Amino acid sequence: MALLLLPIVLILYVAAAGAFIAYLVSARERLRELAPLLLAAAAALHGFEIAGRSFAIGHIAVTSFDEGLSFLAFSLAILYLLLDRRHVLAVLGAVIAPLASLLVAVSVLVSSGATELPPALRSAWLPVHVTLAFLGNAVFALAFATSLIYVFEDNRLKAKRPGRRRLLPSLERLDDLNHRLLSWGFPLLTLGIVTGAVWAHFAWGEFWSWEARETWSLVTWSLYAILLHGRSVGWRGRRAATLTIFGFAVLLVSFVSVNVFFPGRHGGSFGS
Amino acid sequence: MNRRRKLWLVGLSHHSAPVEVRERLALADGTAGAVARRLLEHVIGVEECALLSTCNRVELVACGDPDKLDSMRLADALGADRGLSPPDLRSHVYLHEDRAAVRHLFRVASSLDSMVVGEPQILGQVKAFYERAVEAGTAGLVLHRVFHKAFSVAKRVRSETGIGGKNVSVSSVAVELAMQIFESLAEKTALVIGAGKMAETTARQVRDRGIGGLIFANRTFDRAVELAREFHGTPVPFEELVRYLTLADVVIGSTAANEVLLTEEQVQEVSRARGYRPTFLIDLGVPRNFDPRINDLRNVYLYDIDDLDGVIGENRHERQREALRAEAIVHAEVESFWQWFQNLEVVPTIVGLRDKAERIYRHELERTLGSLKSLGEGERKSIEAMAEAIVNKLLHEPITRLKRVESADDEEVLAARRLFGLDDDE
Repeated sequence: MALLLLPIVLILYVAAAGAFIAYLVSARERLRELAPLLLAAAAALHGFEIAGRSFAIGHIAVTSFDEGLSFLAFSLAILYLLLDRRHVLAVLGAVIAPLASLLVAVSVLVSSGATELPPALRSAWLPVHVTLAFLGNAVFALAFATSLIYVFEDNRLKAKRPGRRRLLPSLERLDDLNHRLLSWGFPLLTLGIVTGAVWAHFAWGEFWSWEARETWSLVTWSLYAILLHGRSVGWRGRRAATLTIFGFAVLLVSFVSVNVFFPGRHGGSFGS
Repeated sequence: MNRRRKLWLVGLSHHSAPVEVRERLALADGTAGAVARRLLEHVIGVEECALLSTCNRVELVACGDPDKLDSMRLADALGADRGLSPPDLRSHVYLHEDRAAVRHLFRVASSLDSMVVGEPQILGQVKAFYERAVEAGTAGLVLHRVFHKAFSVAKRVRSETGIGGKNVSVSSVAVELAMQIFESLAEKTALVIGAGKMAETTARQVRDRGIGGLIFANRTFDRAVELAREFHGTPVPFEELVRYLTLADVVIGSTAANEVLLTEEQVQEVSRARGYRPTFLIDLGVPRNFDPRINDLRNVYLYDIDDLDGVIGENRHERQREALRAEAIVHAEVESFWQWFQNLEVVPTIVGLRDKAERIYRHELERTLGSLKSLGEGERKSIEAMAEAIVNKLLHEPITRLKRVESADDEEVLAARRLFGLDDDE
């Protein structure tokens, strides 16, 4: 039953994406209200779908590649809705909703069915570790979207073609948002890595095994650490935005490549 | 008697007449009512009238009898009242009748005819002048309707199109850009270098947006002090400009200097000292005050007067696109008003028809009932009801058709009047 829900969720995400983009094009107030509603509906149904699936397989549904993508999309949507409760960041929605649509679409396409989890891994650490890690990733995705908009707006201002001010938040606001998101995402990522290590210690008796995913996450962690430090010494505005985009590109590459090329503990086959 | 009335609008505006002519026709403050009164009393054929006089236009809207008056005579009368002879006036004045007059009034109220299309003041001015006509008692049924319609059209245009949405002056565009860079100006500081009207206007605009601090620098220190006093700012010596630059988030340059005031290297130095916080430089000077390469620096934005003009051009363009949508609204509303005005003319025919029918049936009813004294109350009632029903059914079709008629000159109206002998009653 839950499997059939995901395509409906996808349709709702696409509708929300369409509404956000249509708002940016037409500036119609009704769309500004409608788009977050559609996204909220998509996220609510999505949450229900994930809960149903988790209940069916007996553990939180994030252990396969498609489940991971789906969960990431869900976290993104929820975080965006929390962030923009006053409905003033529609541009951000216009990046987030299509991104969520894309993630869910890929998730539906590569769906491989439920994976059997080895008994050693059925522990309370699973939801803790995975939720933290995914929330961290979702926060970084939001920071990435914010930075994309920043670079876009910065380019337009420099080119003396400022465009529609009512639809774009000010650069200062976007930069401030970037800072806030990075300072939420970084602790989440850190905690995600730490809980992973602790769990690995209980499951396999070692904290760290230099598996591909772990190595990549350490690279990402260092990047964001540098970026966050840089922000405190004047890496603001354009430079912070560019580096955030770069950081997320690395994160994305690691997420996909680990799942596709390095099927280790994190690649959806936990049997190793 | 069926009378056909006409609507006229005569006048001149910045489109048709130079300021020398406009100012001669313009009304002194508070005289519009008296002038309207004079025109109504002395110009034969005028039944209702109202005047509108702003620095860009003088217009007379009137409704009256076309057999006694035409638009040219109306314009001459207005000119005569202001001491202008017909030859002085005729080459500058426009004469609109009926639909065209309504359309013109709607366009004026909606700011489609303004020098700066979409500027919001004109509606208030039209309202004020309409009220003068109401006070003077020169506006009647038709003008009440046409003006109220004009107000609602203007509101529709404002809310349904983006005609007034984009700024088209240098200072407001500059401030709008500042608001695109900064979320709020409350904790920001603006440095104004030089003086001049444009610098002052821009300073006033950033102050109105709640700028945290204003600093003034001028080669003549006294002038800086003067400006600082006016805007509650701080004057600083011109020689120490660069020092104060590190404090400034917005820099407005407006000197007539021939050499470049700020080089790229200087601003880069300042930007580093500011921790690369965004800086917005507005160069209002010709020749330019700031090195154009400054715009290439990270988190620094430089707009010179041409850049601002470019943005204004784009905004104008957008306003014009929106103006097209506004014209469609005006067109539809003119038609709807026109329908009402036409019906106003057909109404006397319908009323005449009903009156005549009612007179006949009452008369015949009295005669018949007078000779049938034996009938009871109930039977009399039945006969009355029958007579009334016959009349109503007979008239239903002609009246429905009359209501659909386009103009009082329409053949069907004339035919109805002839067939029922409405014009040779008395």
